[in-house]
Amino acid sequence: MKSTIRILAAAFTLCAASRASAALHVVATTPEYGAIASVIGGDKVVVTNLAKATEDPHFVDAKPSHIVTLNRADVLIEGGADLEAGWLPPLLDGARNPKIAVGAPGHIRANEQIQLMDVPATLDRSQGDVHAAGNPHFMMDPVNAKIVAAHIAKVFCSLDAASCPAYTANVQAFTAKLDGKISDWTAALAPFKGTPIVTYHPTWKYFAARFGLVSDLYLEPKPGIPPSPPHLADVMKKMNDEKIRVVLVEPFQSRKTAEAVADRTGAAVVDVCQFPGGLPGTANDYIALMDADVKAIIAGFTAKK
Amino acid sequence: MEIFTLWLWPLLALILLPGLLVYFGLHVVERGIIFVDLALAQIAALGICVAIALGAHPGHDALPYVLSVVFTLLGAALFAWTRFDHPRVPQEAIIGIIYVVAAAAATLVLSHSAEGDEALKNLLVGNVLLVTKAEVLRTFALFAVIGAVHVLLRRKFLMVTFHEEQAKLKGVALRLWDFIFYATFGLTVVSFVQIVGVYLVFSYLIVPAVCGALLSANIRTRLIIGWIVAFIAGVSGLLLSVKLETLDLPTGPTIVCCFGVMLIVTALAMLARNGRGATT
Repeated sequence: MKSTIRILAAAFTLCAASRASAALHVVATTPEYGAIASVIGGDKVVVTNLAKATEDPHFVDAKPSHIVTLNRADVLIEGGADLEAGWLPPLLDGARNPKIAVGAPGHIRANEQIQLMDVPATLDRSQGDVHAAGNPHFMMDPVNAKIVAAHIAKVFCSLDAASCPAYTANVQAFTAKLDGKISDWTAALAPFKGTPIVTYHPTWKYFAARFGLVSDLYLEPKPGIPPSPPHLADVMKKMNDEKIRVVLVEPFQSRKTAEAVADRTGAAVVDVCQFPGGLPGTANDYIALMDADVKAIIAGFTAKK
Repeated sequence: MEIFTLWLWPLLALILLPGLLVYFGLHVVERGIIFVDLALAQIAALGICVAIALGAHPGHDALPYVLSVVFTLLGAALFAWTRFDHPRVPQEAIIGIIYVVAAAAATLVLSHSAEGDEALKNLLVGNVLLVTKAEVLRTFALFAVIGAVHVLLRRKFLMVTFHEEQAKLKGVALRLWDFIFYATFGLTVVSFVQIVGVYLVFSYLIVPAVCGALLSANIRTRLIIGWIVAFIAGVSGLLLSVKLETLDLPTGPTIVCCFGVMLIVTALAMLARNGRGATT
């Protein structure tokens, strides 16, 4: 009996120690923020993602662990541009954690220093920044990822000054590596400058703008509205007229719709994802994910039909 | 104790609110209109969809709530009116038709709105983990009023459901009482669906009532058995879901499966009792 108690006590101390040794508990709404936070934080942080890479970030089902994780978190990273508006606020209410409440130093809104696209002309400022809409898929432009990485490092430093030199070194290394990759991707995509792509949802506008592609045709008639037959007919006509060769689709979107459209127009369906882990070999690695996306899109452009 | 800090309001919601659902479940099972709750919830959803199509925003404007209540009352009138004795068409068939047409109509109404999908989902897929103090208190107040109406007028309601022939002989206005029944039932279902979602509402209505009916013929005993079943399934489901951190089970489905277990336990209890009764 006594030995059991001693073992339990030892286990408890071990647990407490392991928790204490990790300086910051970081929660990311979607995996790309989690991946970048892991790179910057290294062994000084413990990172948890709320949404899975294969889950539609507009709809995430609340589980008990989500609330417990948020309750114990020191830092929360969210996109901020209304992408998580449907599910994050009630989770935050449930978590009752002042450290990551809206406006607290531990609450990072990644969009804060980003120039958003598609901001509606009539933005009602009287509602504050709650409805500051705009296209929330800005992380598909790796230059924005650099800005967000710097933002995350700054907040980590302010909350954990002792480890600040490590955070600063890590973010510099990440930025340098990403800069090299951006030149590689730009060079690889240069031959396809001006090539139009079809996507399911306006997820790839930032990516297209960065690398000189054209993304203005979507399988959805409006963001969030399922494809209707007349709209798809219209898309297919434009694809034939403009000789569009690729349809991009993500794991949580209707591949069946993309296949039907590609089938009737001689285009190729390209599997891509905006989140690390959504494609094989990209788990928790933003740069590997972008690499895989660029390769998949180029393969789609050059596919023989 | 996390259960009393993080999970206090979900726990209270699962203890305070289902009592009324269990009571309505007795009526629903006796009348054989098992899927009427889904149909009423879908009609209320259609009301919200119409409000969105007219440009209102759920959560900001009053119109979605007002229209959901109006549509629920219209649905209540429809169900009261379609209570007829047709030799070949059961009322359950009519309920099914109303459900599927309301669901399709909601999709049509929303086919040009961006928020549509989300609003529909929010209405039918509640999550008890995310319930707020205000929601629990507001819904409890509404349920207290509806419960009081049913306690005061219990003779009429029970007669209309359980002794229809007697009610007809006494000249009770069946359609009127049916309408009041469906109207109060509809409001109960629509408020509870938004907290716990469609699957849980269905479980709370049907499983406790069936467990009660398996064990007793007496209405009062059935109600008490139903309350016990609902309490055990709800609280144990919530505890399993939040305590088994390694499994991280979603709460709603865990509670529904606990209801399944409760039904099996009840059925075994009934068999054991009958077996004993046969041998003595």
